[in-house]
Amino acid sequence: MEELNCETVFTLPVIGGISESVVVTWIIMAVLVLLSVILVRNLRVENPGKVQLALEAAIGWAQDFFEGILGKENRRYFPYLITVLLFLGASNTIAPLCGFKPPTKDLNVTAALAVMSMCLIEYSGIRKNGLKHWAKHFAQPVPVVAPIMILEVVIRPLSLCMRLFGNMLAGFVVMELLKTVVPVLVPIPVSFYFDIFDGLLQAYVFVFLTALFMNEEME
Amino acid sequence: MLQLNLNLVWEMINLIVLFLLLRHFLIRPVTDIMEKRKKLIADGLQNAQDAQNDAMKMKQEYEDALKGAKQESVKILENARTEAKSEYDRIVGEAGERAGSIIESAKETVRMEREKTMNELRSEIAGLAVASAGKILGRQAGSGDDQNLYDQFLEEVGEAHEDTDK
Repeated sequence: MEELNCETVFTLPVIGGISESVVVTWIIMAVLVLLSVILVRNLRVENPGKVQLALEAAIGWAQDFFEGILGKENRRYFPYLITVLLFLGASNTIAPLCGFKPPTKDLNVTAALAVMSMCLIEYSGIRKNGLKHWAKHFAQPVPVVAPIMILEVVIRPLSLCMRLFGNMLAGFVVMELLKTVVPVLVPIPVSFYFDIFDGLLQAYVFVFLTALFMNEEME
Repeated sequence: MLQLNLNLVWEMINLIVLFLLLRHFLIRPVTDIMEKRKKLIADGLQNAQDAQNDAMKMKQEYEDALKGAKQESVKILENARTEAKSEYDRIVGEAGERAGSIIESAKETVRMEREKTMNELRSEIAGLAVASAGKILGRQAGSGDDQNLYDQFLEEVGEAHEDTDK
């Protein structure tokens, strides 16, 4: 079961150990940025190429999706949510595509994502309604619920973090076990389910819930 | 496996960097292009709408002008017809008058001619009568009596002539 461990790839003198997942994240980042630079190079308003049309369809779909949840006036949050969607989609499906361990099976990665989501959720609430209203809304509708409301601030990102981590870890464990038992052919359809389908679904669920919580916070 | 350490911070930094990079390289340009196209399409539609409105307006104007022209033409035609009618009447009347006057003058000429001829005939007959009377009477009669004589003769002849006329 040593595949479950997140090994330390190398150690920097001051900062300390850099884990496998961070390195894989760097690779994903590099690939995503490189791809976007290549794909975005020749954008045209008229007569777009097939690649541009596909790109626009994808980005447009994501924007429509977030617009449906958050509304047109919150377009400023869309780029971050699209980034997270792309990153999660890439990192969840990287295991069958490139052979890396998915970074999202490391609790640090999902926790980082969840902390970012928490900051974003609270920030959007404060920005929309002001600090005073944000502080007051913990005592709504009755002051008795205040402890629960405050707990919710932590529970929402924690659930995001644990859902993603649990799904990816479980998928990874099942896949590793299956590979040791039946190494030939059988893992292929199972991998499609656990890595591709579940990975994309979890990426979708993560950004969907983040957007939903933001919307809730902004009311 | 289940441990949180400094890698959490690195991941967060990674995420922020990735967000900034993707926003700059992917989402901004694509969104800009889509906005531009949307604007282009909206402008095009607006232009088409404007052009159509203009065309409709012009069509209306043309139709009005055409209607006016039709009425005008009907009026002009009517005018021309009445004018032509009056001109025709005038010309026909004039022609009738002229024909009448020509006939009148012709009649007059014929009448004068006849008178003239009759006068000539009369004097010739008188001359003949005088000559024949002179022959008959001989040379005794004076020239003063001659005049009375042939006047008398002429009266008789004239009465006889008028009698034959009747």
